[in-house]
Amino acid sequence: MTATSSTPSTAAHKRPNYVMIWLYLFVLTVAEVALAFELPLSRNVKLLLLLFLAVWKALLVALFFMHLKFERWRLRLIFIIPLPLAAILITAVIMEKVF
Amino acid sequence: MTHATQTLDQMRPPYPAEPGSGVYSSKLGMWVFLASDVMFFTALIGSYIILRFGAPGEWAKPGAVLNVPLTAVNTFLLICSSVAMVKAYAAIQDGKKYFLRPVPGKTLRDGGLKFWLLVTILCGAAFVSVQVVEYIKLVGHGFTPAGYREGSLLAEHAAADAAKYGAAVAGLYGSSFFTMTGFHGFHVTCGVISMTYLYITKVLPEKYSPQDYRGIEVIGLYWHFVDLVWIILFTIVYLI
Amino acid sequence: MTSVAHAQPHAHGGGDAHHAPMSFWRKYIFSTDHKIIGIQFLFVSLFFLLVGGILAMQIRWQLGFPAKPMPGGGLLPETMVSDGHILPEYYVQLVSMHGTFMVFFAIMPLLVGVYANFLIPLKIGAHDMAFPRINMWSFWAALLAGLIMTASFFVPNGPIRSGWTNYVPLAARPDLSGVTVGQMLWCISIVVLGLSSVMGSLNYITTIINHRAPGMTWFRMPLSVWALFITAILGVLALPVLQGAAIMLLFDNVLGTHFFDPAAGGQALLWQHLFWFFGHPEVYILILPAMGMVSDIIANGSRKPIFGYHSMVFAIIGIAFLGWIVWGHHMFMSGMNPTLGSTFMVSTLLIAVPSAVKVFNWMGTMWRGNLRFHVPMMNAIGFVSMFTIGGLSGIYMAATPVDIPLHDTQFIVAHIHYVLFGGSLFALFAAMTYWYPKMFGKMMSERLGKVHFWLTFVFYNMTFFPMHIIGMGGQMRRIYDPTIYNFLKPQQPLNEFISYSAFALFAVQFLFAFNFLWSLKFGKKAPQNPWDDNGLEWSLPNPAPHGNWEKVPNVYRGPYEFSAPEAGDKDYLPQYTKLPTDRDPVPAPVPAGH
Repeated sequence: MTATSSTPSTAAHKRPNYVMIWLYLFVLTVAEVALAFELPLSRNVKLLLLLFLAVWKALLVALFFMHLKFERWRLRLIFIIPLPLAAILITAVIMEKVF
Repeated sequence: MTHATQTLDQMRPPYPAEPGSGVYSSKLGMWVFLASDVMFFTALIGSYIILRFGAPGEWAKPGAVLNVPLTAVNTFLLICSSVAMVKAYAAIQDGKKYFLRPVPGKTLRDGGLKFWLLVTILCGAAFVSVQVVEYIKLVGHGFTPAGYREGSLLAEHAAADAAKYGAAVAGLYGSSFFTMTGFHGFHVTCGVISMTYLYITKVLPEKYSPQDYRGIEVIGLYWHFVDLVWIILFTIVYLI
Repeated sequence: MTSVAHAQPHAHGGGDAHHAPMSFWRKYIFSTDHKIIGIQFLFVSLFFLLVGGILAMQIRWQLGFPAKPMPGGGLLPETMVSDGHILPEYYVQLVSMHGTFMVFFAIMPLLVGVYANFLIPLKIGAHDMAFPRINMWSFWAALLAGLIMTASFFVPNGPIRSGWTNYVPLAARPDLSGVTVGQMLWCISIVVLGLSSVMGSLNYITTIINHRAPGMTWFRMPLSVWALFITAILGVLALPVLQGAAIMLLFDNVLGTHFFDPAAGGQALLWQHLFWFFGHPEVYILILPAMGMVSDIIANGSRKPIFGYHSMVFAIIGIAFLGWIVWGHHMFMSGMNPTLGSTFMVSTLLIAVPSAVKVFNWMGTMWRGNLRFHVPMMNAIGFVSMFTIGGLSGIYMAATPVDIPLHDTQFIVAHIHYVLFGGSLFALFAAMTYWYPKMFGKMMSERLGKVHFWLTFVFYNMTFFPMHIIGMGGQMRRIYDPTIYNFLKPQQPLNEFISYSAFALFAVQFLFAFNFLWSLKFGKKAPQNPWDDNGLEWSLPNPAPHGNWEKVPNVYRGPYEFSAPEAGDKDYLPQYTKLPTDRDPVPAPVPAGH
């Protein structure tokens, strides 16, 4: 059945190489564990790096496995909107406690 | 078949309507549900971050109480199941409803929807099983939602080395660990059950086609989300 | 006008011609029809409204006449009432459960469970919701949650004692509160209710985005639908936070966790932050649908388009957006960081602006309109005036220095009830009367409706206005006996006055209940469009049939074309009426095979 004339829900795109993404995820996980246990970095640096790696992995899953990279902005917005709310809650309460 | 034409024709309700989101209803509904699930985990994970930030004492060191190598393997299992899920999705996009089919000139046979979804389910079930075993071991050692059980092995260790075991805030440690990973595990279990149900009622009788594989895409989104949450959890619970 | 007659879209007809005949159970009990589900929510919620009212009567007896034995007190067990006197332990349970039932099981389901379900598909031109079965589950989950909550009255030690807000440590420590199973049940009930709410909101959002009839563009949707849409977004994002918090509270109670236990490093304030991060969007969930429906009714009653339609939409969005960053104004007295307090003060003052825009726009709509004072219009105008008072008291409380003496006094209680009763409940009286013909095919008695409105309006103000005064005089909230304080004794006559007014107010509601129930059988048969309204729902017979339309109507204009010159001798021009100058909208292509 061919598509009718309305705009497709996602842009026509080349299918991502899922095996490559899987490899990236594997390497990043190993990097995280190594970083947490082996590397003699200061605690705060470790924290930042680990968070960075975690977010990278999460983005890989979100953008490629969940196809957000290829969806229109309206759909991406649905997933994005809770994030600032979460940030507001956590930041405000931490600031509050620090007082 | 490219992404562009997938399930396009199934996007509309079966009557004339405004163009709307350009995405079929069950997919839109699942994304909205995932947004709500983000808020649910925000409450749990956010509380963990807040409690840890404001904790009156040092948290236990990574690996002191929890089995990081085992969980790293478990994380890998979940990532594999996520890949298997997306391979299943790609398979049905290409119309591969079968289990395995030999490919001329290659030793490895080509997996279809039935194969890849089964792999997803098995890896997911394995993840939950490993977590259950982990929980049993932890409780056996004395790690409970309330902290280190009195008289247990962990309590002894904590008394000997308060800094390494975060003795001052063991209660918070236990509370946050079991609640966050427990509810994540609950989400994984629901996913495994749903996928099994779909497998039996729709995948085996080959009800999905390249023209309509909405169920696979929608459950796939849920499954990837669960994986995504675990990626965050693994880092901030086990490695920090 | 012939063009009006031609344009009548066909109803789905006596028939469920497409479906096999359904059993009674599938048609009325386990129905997936959004209209039936809406009506199910209606009856269940009205029941819980009554329960909440009965709890309130006991509260008012105790506050008005602390020394006197309560009539009927003998019926209650010794753990609650002793010698006819309400025990202090029972009194705090009364206030806690009155709030819980009213917020979660009366007002929220009445506004959202009933009207989102009933109105959305009808007003946007859809056959049903996007996910009819999930819709059905949403109702049964809400009912289950209500039953669990009610069960807490019948367990050892009874229901919660820590206020509907369940502040810790009281709510987390059975040894402090005396409540054991009751607290667990509250938490479990809320988690189940949250599920119901999220499932419902999912449906409303998806249906409104994807299932609008051809020509029903975003800015042709009635304000009731806009409000319900934005409310659903608030619900989908806020309820899960409460679910998480309730789970943590449950675990503190039963699993020995320490989330909120300061002795183990937990944070008591964490509960307040989580609760109010949910709680503030929740109160906007409780008012926005009311505002939306009132907009529709006021435009209808004024025979004029709503003044400033676009600004009304942006005001709803503005309120919803700002509602996420004001939660701290419930916590000014909690000991939180004063700098943070200031930011909450600013954002709270800001949120008054879009609300005020709406009030001015309602007034602008009525200005020089051809006013029809039907019962829904009267209740809607009552809403506007009472909500304004509630909003003004809100400005007082938004200013932190002013809130410091007012917090947790009856002033707050007055504010809550002005917005929830004066606001939401009056809007509900309007909505229930307005859409009654669509639901049941009959009209409610106009005369009884007017008597009910006036009596309610008078007794309501007599009940709640003086609370501002005694609150400023220092009477605390949730207090068992104000007369134990010498400085409060001079205000006791006002407390009595309030109680008498409250009893009268409660009694008057039986007029509404009678009107509602009696008209089901004996009410005048409703004409198809009794209010001369423009919405799509009025193109269907009353009550609307299963599946709504055979073929969804085309939409040619906005929802408020009252007194439009194009309409000829009629002063309304429905959205679905095709004039000779109108072109048919181009729908999105329908897939082959359907």
